Amino acid sequence: MLYVVLFFLLFSLLLYVLLGGADFGAGIVELFSSRENKKVNRDTIYRVMGPIWEANHIWLIILIVILWIAFPVYFNIIIIYLHVPLTLVLLGITMRGVSFVFRHYDAFQDKSQLIYNGLFRFSSFVTPIFLGMCFAALVGGELIVTEDYTNYGFYDLFMQPWFNGFSILMGLFYASLCAFLASTLLIGESEGDIRNMYIRKSKISTGILVLLGFVLIAYGFFNEIAFIRDFVTNPISIVCIILSGILLFPLWKFIRAGRRILSRYFAGLQVVLVLFAALVAHFPYVIITSEEEISLLENISPDSVIMVLGISLLIGGGVILPGLFHLMKSFKMIKIFDRDEQQFQK
Amino acid sequence: MENLDYARLQMAFTLGFHIIFACIGMVMPFFMVVSHHKWLKTRNPVYLKLTKAWLKGVAIFFVTGAVSGTALSFELGMLWPEFMKHAGPIIGMPFSLEGAAFFVEAIALGFYLYGWNKLPEKFHWFTGVIIGISGVLSGILVVAANGWMNAPSGFEYINGEFTNVDPVQAFLNPAWFSQALHMTLAAFVATSFGVAGIHAFQILRGKSVEVHKSAFKIAISFGAIAALLQPISGDISAKDVAERQPAKLAAMEAHFETEEGAPLFLGGIVDEENKEVNYKIEIPNALSFLAFGDFDAEVKGLNEFPDDEIPPVAIVHYAFQVMVGIGTLLALAGLLFFISLKKKSWMDNKKYWWFFMLLAPLGFLALEAGWVVTEVGRQPWIIYQIMRTSDAVTPMPGMKFSFFMYVAVYILLAITVTWLMQRQIKALNTQKD
Ligand code: HDD
Ligand code: HEM
Ligand code: HEM
Repeated sequence: MLYVVLFFLLFSLLLYVLLGGADFGAGIVELFSSRENKKVNRDTIYRVMGPIWEANHIWLIILIVILWIAFPVYFNIIIIYLHVPLTLVLLGITMRGVSFVFRHYDAFQDKSQLIYNGLFRFSSFVTPIFLGMCFAALVGGELIVTEDYTNYGFYDLFMQPWFNGFSILMGLFYASLCAFLASTLLIGESEGDIRNMYIRKSKISTGILVLLGFVLIAYGFFNEIAFIRDFVTNPISIVCIILSGILLFPLWKFIRAGRRILSRYFAGLQVVLVLFAALVAHFPYVIITSEEEISLLENISPDSVIMVLGISLLIGGGVILPGLFHLMKSFKMIKIFDRDEQQFQK
Repeated sequence: MENLDYARLQMAFTLGFHIIFACIGMVMPFFMVVSHHKWLKTRNPVYLKLTKAWLKGVAIFFVTGAVSGTALSFELGMLWPEFMKHAGPIIGMPFSLEGAAFFVEAIALGFYLYGWNKLPEKFHWFTGVIIGISGVLSGILVVAANGWMNAPSGFEYINGEFTNVDPVQAFLNPAWFSQALHMTLAAFVATSFGVAGIHAFQILRGKSVEVHKSAFKIAISFGAIAALLQPISGDISAKDVAERQPAKLAAMEAHFETEEGAPLFLGGIVDEENKEVNYKIEIPNALSFLAFGDFDAEVKGLNEFPDDEIPPVAIVHYAFQVMVGIGTLLALAGLLFFISLKKKSWMDNKKYWWFFMLLAPLGFLALEAGWVVTEVGRQPWIIYQIMRTSDAVTPMPGMKFSFFMYVAVYILLAITVTWLMQRQIKALNTQKD
């Protein structure tokens, strides 16, 4: 059952990074668009992401609930030492969620739209940055896990680990990943000029993403960050990274050609490869403090708890995944398969 | 004030905020589907208009409930890491099932909001029903987790270690049923009277009276039934508390002395220093009967407990009085509504609408008061008789800032949502058919 639980943990992480990321990214794309395109984007993402925007963010809740149930010691460290950036993330999620709904369900469309729009774009941009910073804090090797709080200053314990060069780079990296995912997804959902705009955005964000990736790795390497070191010295992760580099070429081609489905899958594949590379290099030592590497699989909950959690997840998954699939199918996927096939037949 | 106090205040404030939106998000879908059903059956455009107006309301409340809930699921750990470290795995089951229920709800909401004119009519309607059912289910599940804090079970506590954990038994703890029942009814009472009151106000103003009367009837029907059941369920809860948490019962009733055939106090001003209650009305033997079903049963007083195991008496006592007072009033109002169905002429009387308008906020007031009774009455324990709240709090200093930030953000949010609702009503009133 531990494997079932681990599977759902990674699965919800992946889906949150992908789907939640695309959600954030849509706001980022909007932030960096011309005025007309902002409006177009607003309508496109309402149509495309509207039906599942709510579901996209529940993956985060599932993730956190699995963590606290099955890996309480881990959860404990994350939640104590990342208090500040997590609060910022929550603030961002709150602002983003409400402004998305307010701008579409307000009874009158007037000046207040300006506020909703501004808030939506801004929070879509900063929230993934803070999320990236949280992750960087866990693996950045600056956490001080201690029982003796009085010996350290507030800054050392609760700020330094997440507020440093490495984490800021990581934050920007994740934000550009989001933009990349969103623009690539939206290519398939638009026509004509708008589509060209998304193609352009997708190219730009791919460029930024690759660049930031290199900077991040170089920075980590020269600053002796264990996570990056292990990452670039583990053969399997190197293969994954090289593979994702090579796959960029077909991805570019598909984006250029405006292939809806294929560019989408290849974009997703990029994320899967990078995550997988990171996992291989470090699993299960996902928290790296200044002193030690802490294993996820140490101090897990008793078997009875894992058992019940696994069963709940299986039942829940059995109900949810078909429902979610059906939802996506009803509102867009099916349509797109059809179109792609028509193109194919031509 | 200390860090601990701010952490408590923040927990209370954010939960108190979430519960309002959660209840509305839980109950409004039921109104919506009833109205939707009437539209499908009668094709009277009034019902379509109403359904669509309520639907927008549901979307706005839902998102506020969802984001504040997301914040809560982090907050439990951020504020009470020691608690979550030990309790998290034990009460994980309701939470993981709750996650599933949210998901179902979110999926159904996606279908419902975006499915107009796209899905088959019946299926579309049915997804609305699913929103309601899964909302109620998630409410029940979280409350079961709260029940565990009041009635910890499903583990053995040996030398400060939690062993032999049985999550199923922890989920089905002795308090889960009475609390979940009472809470679900409370959600219906609060939301129904709230919504009905708003529509009563519109009827008084003479705006689109036909729509608002239909709306009023749908909303109040749910509320009236729930309000009549509420005192019965409250009595079950009280008997439960009497049996398992005598200190809480004593605080609710402000009973300092242990007595056989204890009287029930109505009103009164609690003097915690001198351990007495002044200016109260006493009903002889009533407390013994209400708590144990026996006029002569012994009720333990607060003086039996060590000083550091007594909850704040005054707050708990006042909150309890407020809840029960409102509960009685709303039950009477429910009765009044059912009578007015026979005596149609009552509905032409302005006083009738005034009455229901004034009741609008009371359900929510009772709801918050009830939670204060449950949560403050459990103090100083976070897990009853196992872990103290002060041992669970986060070691991070500066909770003050976090608290004030949440207060500022949520107040702003509450104002915005109120303003948005008022705009929805305006739109409903000005719309042409
Ligand atoms: C509309 C709201 C509402 C109304 C009208 C009432 N209650 Fe209530 N009550 C709640 C809303 C509520 C609540 C907020 O939902 C609580 C908090 C925890 C819970 O499970 O329900 C609660 C808790 C609660 C408890 C404590 C349970 C515990 O600590 O485990 C008792 C003893 C009562 N109630 C009793 C009553 C009685 C005798 C009522 C008589 C009319 C009554 N309530 C009306
Ligand atoms: C939504 C309705 C709820 C409201 C309004 C509410 C209210 C409160 C209040 C007033 C306190 C502060 C008590 C004090 O320190 O004196 C508190 C504490 C707390 N509540 Fe609740 N509560 C609610 C539901 C829940 C649920 C469902 C859970 C858990 C599953 C929960 C968990 C806690 C925890 C962990 C604390 C902090 C520890 C403590 O003070 O005992 N609450 N809540
Ligand atoms: C008695 C107390 C509570 C009740 C009755 C309740 C009920 C609900 C309901 C019905 C929803 C659905 C949202 C909506 O329809 O508006 C919701 C949302 C949520 N609640 Fe609560 N809740 C309570 C307390 C809590 C607590 C203590 C937590 C945290 C551990 C929590 C976590 C959440 C989360 C994460 C969501 C968002 C789910 C989503 O994205 O849809 N709730 N709650």
